[in-house]
Amino acid sequence: MNPRAIQQAIVRMMIDPAFVAAVHGRRPVPGLAEDERALLRAVDRRAFTTDRFRRARAVQALVEEYPVSAAAIGLTAVDSFLSAPEFAACITGRGSMALAFGTWLKDQASGIGVIEAAMARLRRSPIPEASPGALICGPRFAPLIVPDGTLAWYEATRAWLGDHALQRIAEDGQRPGLPRRGLTRRQGEEFILLEARADGGMDLGTASEALVRLLRFAAQPRSRRALEAEAVTRGAEPHEAAEVLDDLLAGGLLLAI
Amino acid sequence: MPATRGIGYPWRVPDFCARRELLPVLGLGVSTEYGASLAAGALDPAALRRARPDFGGFLEVGVEIAKGLDAPATAWASAGWPTTYHFLDINLDEPEDLEREWLAGVRACIATLKPAWLCGDAGLWHFGGRDRGQMLLLPPVLIAESVAPMAEGIRALREATGLEVLPENPPGSAFVGDLHLLEFFARVAEAADTGLLLDCAHLAMYQRLQGHAPLDGLDDFPWDRVIELHVAGGRERSDGGFHWIEDEHGVELLPDTWAIARLALQRASQLRAVVVECERNPLPAVLPLFERVAAALPARLRPVPGDSQPGGAQA
Repeated sequence: MNPRAIQQAIVRMMIDPAFVAAVHGRRPVPGLAEDERALLRAVDRRAFTTDRFRRARAVQALVEEYPVSAAAIGLTAVDSFLSAPEFAACITGRGSMALAFGTWLKDQASGIGVIEAAMARLRRSPIPEASPGALICGPRFAPLIVPDGTLAWYEATRAWLGDHALQRIAEDGQRPGLPRRGLTRRQGEEFILLEARADGGMDLGTASEALVRLLRFAAQPRSRRALEAEAVTRGAEPHEAAEVLDDLLAGGLLLAI
Repeated sequence: MPATRGIGYPWRVPDFCARRELLPVLGLGVSTEYGASLAAGALDPAALRRARPDFGGFLEVGVEIAKGLDAPATAWASAGWPTTYHFLDINLDEPEDLEREWLAGVRACIATLKPAWLCGDAGLWHFGGRDRGQMLLLPPVLIAESVAPMAEGIRALREATGLEVLPENPPGSAFVGDLHLLEFFARVAEAADTGLLLDCAHLAMYQRLQGHAPLDGLDDFPWDRVIELHVAGGRERSDGGFHWIEDEHGVELLPDTWAIARLALQRASQLRAVVVECERNPLPAVLPLFERVAAALPARLRPVPGDSQPGGAQA
């Protein structure tokens, strides 16, 4: 028997009543051998749900990280993530619930989800692996492309939520009017640069399309020559490209690794 | 002297029977965790020590590295008063949990606290990775296959910190597996060659849930490995016909807990420390519980604070 698989199943049983039903159901449960499942079934199922607020606390943790996305999609949708395969994968794969939620969101919260998922990643930004001679987008920055009007909706909704986002959404429900992408790919895009401050806060503002696309190109380690070429593609004069990169390095927007 | 070769050690490591002689007697102490003593109506450990040095012999500091140490814990350590380090964030049976950054944080806290040893519930402290919203505490899966990974983790943490690591039986409302909790921890202690922390209140929860009598299984427990005891009040709960005990850390001991504690105090010949867990109660409310536990302590566990000596010798 695999104790870790059993332990992970216990966690799911404590959070997801549907999974409890699956363990006690007739069909096989993926990831659980029958003898492992038998151990779980030997325990009174009520023993797994003595903490009635465990699932609610998980929702609260998600709303704390994704308040505006939660306002966009509503608490029922946030709650449903805890029964989704992405959440199960987070448990079995030593994942981050907040990052898994960002993956699960996909386009449900449109550009708002893009912004808050990027914030979640920046809060957990790992130190980039060394790659001699390469440059990469600074780990405190996230260049984003979202539908036009997203930033204004984000800021207005943050103000609407106030200091008690969960309570506000619970009382008032979803906030309508979320900007969505247009019918054509380039219709009404907004270019945003997100920066994680040293104090843990986040700065969010518009940036030039050229800068955002250059930094997105640097999401993977790139040679200086490749980045200079990309800068030229994005509108820099050839003789300016080296200076542009030097400025970005000085500002931490690019990092030599 | 019996000896064994530890994981990763290039030299032979004395076995626990030899190593435990170096562990100091701390006597009766109190526990805290980040921010606990700062809450309204909570116990101030330093005030307890000033009022009753025999009750505040040491401070067991619950540490979650993401939160660090609070000011009262740091002040206690700065005064040179004894401590133990109770981890709140390590899944011992997951080798991946000994992350470099986490270990650096542990070592920094050890440098501040100078604890006599590490200890903590040997269970699941977080699901997925160690991240916000993912902290919890569940007991281990009580099957034979769980023993080796847990023991490996204890050895690895001991090696990484240079301090003894005492696994504690966790609380819970759902215990899964075919081994008795006490047999499981006896096997873990043997495999990890380590001492044990027996939480009497947690054991009472387990015994009640499983339909055992409070003292079932204690005859075969390796008492010579028990270095520390926890005693705390619990609350009987019931919901939908299901009954369990909540780990309340209150000041009213359940009779089952007290029966276990009294037996443990008699049998744990190598005991060094007893913690009364009551951190969220005011000083006047906790004194009767401390008096009750203190009266049951064996004489060798009543050191003068600051005079604790290795191996149980009293100054």
